[in-house]
Amino acid sequence: MLKKCSQCGLPETYETIEFDGQGVCNICNQKSYRDGAIDWDARYAILADLIEQYRGKHDYDCIVPFSGGKDSTYTLWRLVTDFKIKPLVVQFDHGFMRRGLRENNLRTFKKLGVDVLSFTPNWKLVKRLMLEALVRKGDFCWHCHTGIFSYPMHVALRYEVPLVFWGEPSSEYTAYYDYRDDEIEEVDEERFNRFVNLGITAEDMAGMIDADFEFDRRDLAPFTYPPLRSLKRLGYRSVCLGSFIPWDVRKQVGIIERELGWKGDQVEGMPWDAYPYEKIECFMQGMRDYIKYMKRGYSRVSQMVALDLRNGRIEKEAADRLVEQFEGRKPPSLEIFLEYLGLTEDEFNSIVMKTVVPPHAPDLASLEVAPRTWDFDQWYREAPEDRGIPCKPGACRTCFDCA
Amino acid sequence: MIGILDIGMGNLGSVWNATYESGFDPEIVIDPDDLDQIDHLILPGVGHFATAMEKLCEMGMVSPLRSYVESGRPLLGLCVGMQVLATEGTEGARTPGLDIIAGTVDRLPVNPPFRVPHIGWNAVSAVRDHPVLERIKPERDFYFVHSYAFRPVDEANIVARTEYGAPFASIVGRANVLGCQFHPEKSQANGLRILENFCRWDGVC
Amino acid sequence: MLKKRIIAIQLLLGERLVKTREFGGYRDVGDPVKSAAVYNSQHLDELILLNIDRDRRSADVFADWLKEISKVCFMPLSIGGGITGFDDAAFLIKNGADKVVVNSAAYRDKKLLGEIANRFGSQAVVVGIDVKRDPSDGRIRLYSDCGRSAEPVALADHIRSCVDAGAGEIFVQSIDNDGVMKGFDIPLIAETQAAAAVPVIGAGGSGTYEMLREAFVATDVSALACGSMFNFTDSQWMRAKAHLTNYGLPFKAV
Repeated sequence: MLKKCSQCGLPETYETIEFDGQGVCNICNQKSYRDGAIDWDARYAILADLIEQYRGKHDYDCIVPFSGGKDSTYTLWRLVTDFKIKPLVVQFDHGFMRRGLRENNLRTFKKLGVDVLSFTPNWKLVKRLMLEALVRKGDFCWHCHTGIFSYPMHVALRYEVPLVFWGEPSSEYTAYYDYRDDEIEEVDEERFNRFVNLGITAEDMAGMIDADFEFDRRDLAPFTYPPLRSLKRLGYRSVCLGSFIPWDVRKQVGIIERELGWKGDQVEGMPWDAYPYEKIECFMQGMRDYIKYMKRGYSRVSQMVALDLRNGRIEKEAADRLVEQFEGRKPPSLEIFLEYLGLTEDEFNSIVMKTVVPPHAPDLASLEVAPRTWDFDQWYREAPEDRGIPCKPGACRTCFDCA
Repeated sequence: MIGILDIGMGNLGSVWNATYESGFDPEIVIDPDDLDQIDHLILPGVGHFATAMEKLCEMGMVSPLRSYVESGRPLLGLCVGMQVLATEGTEGARTPGLDIIAGTVDRLPVNPPFRVPHIGWNAVSAVRDHPVLERIKPERDFYFVHSYAFRPVDEANIVARTEYGAPFASIVGRANVLGCQFHPEKSQANGLRILENFCRWDGVC
Repeated sequence: MLKKRIIAIQLLLGERLVKTREFGGYRDVGDPVKSAAVYNSQHLDELILLNIDRDRRSADVFADWLKEISKVCFMPLSIGGGITGFDDAAFLIKNGADKVVVNSAAYRDKKLLGEIANRFGSQAVVVGIDVKRDPSDGRIRLYSDCGRSAEPVALADHIRSCVDAGAGEIFVQSIDNDGVMKGFDIPLIAETQAAAAVPVIGAGGSGTYEMLREAFVATDVSALACGSMFNFTDSQWMRAKAHLTNYGLPFKAV
C-alpha cells in the first residue's frame, strides 16, 4: 500500500512529494501558502511593471509559447485582454495534435487577433528520441518537453523579443519550486535541467543515439537550450503568468469557454464528463497516463481529483469512486505507439518495468482497455514500411537489454 | 574589484566562477601591492593551517593583510582561509595565525559516531543577523569538509554555529572581517548567495 | 546535524561519460559538462568523476573538463583515475577538484596519501577500494587497476593503513553489483564502516530509492554513490531526497 496525502490523496510515488507530520503533502501546503500568504496585489503590480518595461521596444511585446491547452489559452487571452499587448505566439508541434485542438487554436487566434509561428521538428528523429527517452526514463515525451521549453527561447533570440510568458508555475503541481519561497519562478536553463528535460540535455542525447541512428547534429537544435550568455545579452525574462495571478484551473476554463468558445475534449482513460478540459492537446496523452500508472501506481484521474480535493470541490468518496472506475486502463493508442517505435507489447512492458518507482509494484495482468475517443481514426498511422526506427548498418541498438 | 588571494592551496576556479557568475569582476591576487585595487578580498583555501601561514609569509602577505583589514574593507576567509584569521592553529605544530579574530584552531573532537573529518552538508544556524546572511533562510545546509575548527575567544565573534557532536563556530566575524568554515562556492544556490552578499557588503555590521 | 549524502559517479571515457556493468560493457550516458550542469540544477550533493580510459591516464586529461565543469557546477567534486603521484593530485586540486580519489596507488605507495594530506588536508584524500567477492566462498577480495589485479591485503587492514597514512574518506565499490541495479552490497559497506574511523561512501548496485534506504538504514553510512540509478531510471536527487525524507532520512535543506 502506498502512503498517500491525507488531503489530496496523491501517493508517495508522485514526484517530489513529501508528507508533513499530519500526513499532508508539500504540494497541498504550498497551495495553502499560495492562497494565504502571497500578496497577489503586489504580484499583479509587478506584472504590470514588467509588461510596461518591455512594451513597444521590440517587434513584439512578448512571446507566448502556446500548446492550445487550457493554460496557454488562458495565458494568451489574459495578457491580450488585460494588457493589450502585441504577442508573438509560438507553437511547438509535437506530432500528436488533434483536430479539436486545431479548431480551438484557430478560433482563439482569429478571435484575439495575434501573429502565430508554428514549428514541427523532424518526425524521424522524434521517433528515435521517443524510444531513447522511454528506455532511459520511462517517459517518451522528451522531445516535447525540451522542444516546448527550448524552441521559444530560440525564437526570442531570433526575433529579439526578450520577454516570454508561460502559464502555470510548476509549484502548482510539484516541489521543484516552492510557493513558500515567495519568489518568482524563472523559466530558465536551471529549471530546464532541474526537471523539464528529464535530466538529459540535447548534447547528452546526441551521444546516446548516434551509435545506432543516422542523423544530422543540427536536427537536435530545437531541443537544445540556447546559451545563457546570448539570452542575457538579449535582456531576457522568462516567467509564468501564474506567478503574478493565483491560478484557478476551473475558473479559467470557464472564462476561455465563454470568451473564446474553447472546447474540451475526450482523453483516453479519463472520465469524459467530469474532466473534459485536461490535457486535450495531444493524442498520446493516454499513453503518457498509462506509463505513469505502470510506473507509479496512479495516473491522471488521481491528479485531477487531487486538485479538486485540494480546492474543496469534490468529496473524498466521489473522488475515490472516479479513480476506482476510470484509472488503470490500457489506452487504445498503445497500438499506434508500438507501431511508431517498432516494439511489441512485451518489449514495451519490459522497458517500462525497469523504470517503476518504488515502493510501487505494478500488476499488468488483466488491465481493461479504455474506450476510443471520437477522433481515434484520425490519428496518424504509419504505413507498414515507415513503422519502427531504422538502425545504422552493423550497429546494434543497445538502448534496451535483450538479455 | 573583488580580489581572490591565491596562496597556492586549493582551487580558486570555483570561487572565481561563483563571483563571476553573480556578475562581479574577480581578480586573482598574488602580489601585496595588488591589494590597493581591491575593495572586497576573499581568502579561500584547502588544507593545512601551517602550510597556509607559511605561504602567506612567503608571499609577504601577513602585514599587508592586516593593513587591508585596518582600512575597513571587507575580508572573507573560507575554510582554511577562515582558520588563519585566528591567533593560533594546532594542526601539525602550534603555528601563529594572522590574529585578526582572537581564537584558536583545534582538531574537532572525535565523538563516535561523529567521524572526523567532518564531511558533508550541515545546517548553519545564525546566532545574530549579518548582511552576508541576507536572504539566507534559517537552518539551511552548507558543505563542510574539515578536521579542525575555530574557537573564538570572544563569543560575540561567533556569527553562526553548526552541530557536529558538539556545536562549533561555522561563521566567525568581527567588524569588516568574516570567516566561513564551510565552502560557499560548493554549496550551490545558498552558497552563491552568501558570496554575492559578501561582494555587495560595505564591511559594516 | 550532518545530513546523508547522495553522490553521483561519472565515468569519463574520452569525450563522453559512460556507464559500466561489472566494470565492463560501456554505455554512453552523456556529455561531461552538461551532465554536471544538470546535476547542479537538481541539487545533487556531490560528484565523483573518474577517468576510466586505459590509454590516457594522465591527470591533464581533466584540465579542460574541470575548467568547464567549474563554470556550471557549484558542488564538491572528487576526481580520480590514474592518480599516481603528488603532482597529479596537486594539478587536479589547483584546477578545480576538491578531493582526489586514489585507488591503485594506495596499495603500492602509501606515502603518497600522506604527501597529499600534508599539503591539502586529509579531507582532500579519498581512497577508492574496489571489491569482488570470491565466487567460491563469498569472501571480500580487493582489486586494483580497474578490477584487473587482485590485491592480497584484507579490507580492514588496507583501510586502516590508508587512514593512518592520511586518507580522510573511504569510497568502497562492489564490482559484482556494479551496473546490475539490484542493490548495494550491504555487508561490504557495513564492514567498511566498522573498519574506517573516517566517513565512508558506499557504491555499486544502485537501482531504486528503496535500495538507498536499505543501505542507509542498515549501515548508517555517510554517503551512497549512484551511477546506474540516475542514468537508467526516472530518478534524480530531488526526488530521491523527497522519497527518503518520507522515511525519516535527513538530507540537505536548500
